[in-house]
Amino acid sequence: MDSKLLTIGQASKMVGVSIQTLRRWDDVGRLPSVRKPKGGHRHYRKEDVENYIKSNVKDLFRLAKSWITSDSGIEPRHDFYCSNSSVFQARLSKLENDLGRVKEISGIFPLIVAIAGEIGNNSFDHNLGNWPDIPGIFFAYDLKKKEVILADRGQGVLKTLKRIKPELANHQDALMVAFTEIISGRAPESRGNGLKFVREVVVNNEIRLFFQTGDARLKIQKDDSNLDIKKTLTNFRGCLARIKF
Amino acid sequence: MTIFLKKFGTTLTSRQFGKESFAAFEPSLREIKDAEKVEVDFEGVITFTPSWGDEFLSPLLERFDDRLILKNTSNLSVKATLKILEEVYQRKFKVE
Repeated sequence: MDSKLLTIGQASKMVGVSIQTLRRWDDVGRLPSVRKPKGGHRHYRKEDVENYIKSNVKDLFRLAKSWITSDSGIEPRHDFYCSNSSVFQARLSKLENDLGRVKEISGIFPLIVAIAGEIGNNSFDHNLGNWPDIPGIFFAYDLKKKEVILADRGQGVLKTLKRIKPELANHQDALMVAFTEIISGRAPESRGNGLKFVREVVVNNEIRLFFQTGDARLKIQKDDSNLDIKKTLTNFRGCLARIKF
Repeated sequence: MTIFLKKFGTTLTSRQFGKESFAAFEPSLREIKDAEKVEVDFEGVITFTPSWGDEFLSPLLERFDDRLILKNTSNLSVKATLKILEEVYQRKFKVE
C-alpha cells in the first residue's frame, strides 16, 4: 500500500472523529477520501488529513462557531468534546494544571479556571436530559493565543431563563438578566448565579469575555460598568464563549 | 470540627460534585456537638466556584448558622466565590 495513504481507521484516529463521521464528511465533501481501484475502500491522503487538522485547529473560536452553527449536529473532535460533566471536570483539571505553569497569570489562573468551569457547568446543569441534538460541550484552549473556548448546542439562555422569567422577550434581555440579576435564596431554583460570578471576575481582572446565545452577544472586560450587549446577524441555539486572558 | 476542603479535591467546581461532596460528608456532621464550632478550611484549594460552593456551604450555613467559620480564604477564586454567595444569601460569612 502507498505509505502516504491512510486507512479510514487511521484517519479517524488522527482527526479524532468516528469512522461513520468520516464517511459522512466524505459524502458531503468536507474531507474527501480517495478510493483504490481494487476493493474500492475509502483511503485518505496523509497530506489531506494533516491539512484538514491544521486548518481547523488554527482558530479554535471559528471551529467552535462552525460546530455550533451547523444545521445538523455532529460530535466535535474527541479531544475538544466533553460528552458529559465528568469528562469536563477532568479536562478542567488539566487546564488548571497547564495555566498554573504560565508565569504571567500565576496570580489569577484559578479565576480563569473558575469562570471556564462555571460557563461549562452551566451548559450541563441547564440541558441535562434536554439536549436538542448533541449532548455535551465543545471545550478547547490555546495557551499561545491565551484563550479558552466553550460552546454547547443546548437550549440557550433565553429558553432556560424563560422557565423562571416568562416575560423575557428576546435573547438580548435574557443575556442581560443572566449576567446581572442575582437570584436570591434557593427558590424557585437553586441555579442561576454562575454568570454573575463570571462578570464580577472579568470586570475585576485582566480578562475579556465574549459570549453569544441566540442572536445576542455580550462583551465584557476589565472595569466595564455597563454590559455591551448587541444583536448579531448570526443566530444559533446554545451558547458560545471565548475567555481571553 | 474542621472540614478540610482539599480532602474533596483541589478543583472544586460544578453543582453535581458539590452535592456529592456534601452527601458523602453529611454522616460525619452528626458527630458535631450542640455548641461546637464548624470550621471550613480552604487551605490547598486551587479553584473554587459558586456552583460547588453553593451546594456545600449553603446547607452548612443553614444548619450551623453562626457556628460556621471559614479559614484560609485568600485564594482569589475562593474570595470571589464567597463574595457572590454572600450576595445570594444576603448575609456575611464569618471568616477567621
